[in-house]
Amino acid sequence: MRQSLTAVLERNRTLSGEFATEPYEVAWAAEARWFVRTLERSGAGARLKVTTQVSPDGLHWCDLEPEREVAGELETWTSAEFGGWLRLKGTVDPGGAPAEGTGGPASVKVMIYLALKS
Amino acid sequence: MSDVTAEGLTAALRHADPALSRFNPLKRILVHDDFNSGTHGWIELLGNYDGRGNLDTVDDHMRDFRPPQLSSCNFFDVGTHGAMSGTYALKVATRPVAGHTGVAIRRLTMAGRGRVQFETYLTFKSEAHSAENQAAVKAGGGEWDANFHPSENQFGAFTVATDICDGVRYHCVARYLNTGLDNAPRREWVYPTVPEPTPREHFEGKIKLPPTADFTAPEPDHWKPFGGPQELCYNEVPTKVNWHYLRWVIDTGTRSNVELQLNDTVYDMRDVPVPPYDEEYGSLQNLLNFYVSVRTHTDVRNFLYLDSVLISVDW
Repeated sequence: MRQSLTAVLERNRTLSGEFATEPYEVAWAAEARWFVRTLERSGAGARLKVTTQVSPDGLHWCDLEPEREVAGELETWTSAEFGGWLRLKGTVDPGGAPAEGTGGPASVKVMIYLALKS
Repeated sequence: MSDVTAEGLTAALRHADPALSRFNPLKRILVHDDFNSGTHGWIELLGNYDGRGNLDTVDDHMRDFRPPQLSSCNFFDVGTHGAMSGTYALKVATRPVAGHTGVAIRRLTMAGRGRVQFETYLTFKSEAHSAENQAAVKAGGGEWDANFHPSENQFGAFTVATDICDGVRYHCVARYLNTGLDNAPRREWVYPTVPEPTPREHFEGKIKLPPTADFTAPEPDHWKPFGGPQELCYNEVPTKVNWHYLRWVIDTGTRSNVELQLNDTVYDMRDVPVPPYDEEYGSLQNLLNFYVSVRTHTDVRNFLYLDSVLISVDW
């Protein structure tokens, strides 16, 4: 029987500006699939862009894949040959349209899942 | 030929098994978790939420206890350290935010009352310095003298605890307080003198705690030492792993602590109080939860690793 584990790396969390998820150890896993659920956007133009990163030690990070935009309510992709650590680095920007409401920075509220299998 | 009893035969078989002979279980083993084969039911703790699954209704101080990780104890300088046996340990990690707590919980119920024993092999670390985390210049960091490493004083505390309800809800709790909130060494065991704040108290407007509140007992004065100071084996740098034996016995027949063993030191805990809740609870009958937590007192990630866990009972 293969092992599986789903980690909720961000839960109901509001992201703005630059961010990175906490380092997560995945050395035991052969497969990794990301799910990003967008629960709220501060404005129609608020754009969430993420880059999957890998690390030899959980301290130093480099890009594994090109940056991607998360535009839908639920988006998913896989990462392969990732070594021992994974995280998402990202940005939220207004996308040219000002954030609605308080006039604060553009933000998105998300659930970020990392689904792993041996 | 000597008489062979069932107890003697059981003990002999357990001692012949390398995975079990490192433990000293009571009569019945409820749980034997070897993290080389998965997380075994250890999961992130999350506070309560409303009937519509609206996570905005979770208390601020109970919404980000972080998912446990299957860790190969991989470090920047030596690569994969591995666990005490095999490659993987269960790791609970904080965010790099002073006051943040990581919590993993194991949910059981009671089929009887009596002594319950929690055993594990554990180690604890603060995160090594990097250009990104700037650990060396965060609170608690200090001068290196080629022996003592300043990262040791950037580790806050780890806790082993229960959440039990037999009509009365109570928590037995033992915390190793490595440093105080000022990052000065304490190296002692403490227990909480008050029951844990509940979501109901927040719901009724009695209390509202910030995200980094100590969820087990919020005020530092609510923690009292027992047993005297104990030096553990941090082993000088944040990237050396030495496994510590922990054995902790409680009694669910008397709702009390019994004893705690850490390596070669045994603490009599029978006089360490267990504060009960005033409130009665529904849908918690026979609750028997164990949790481990790790808490940072500076803006540096703290880690608690468990090689394996064994929970046994005398019923």
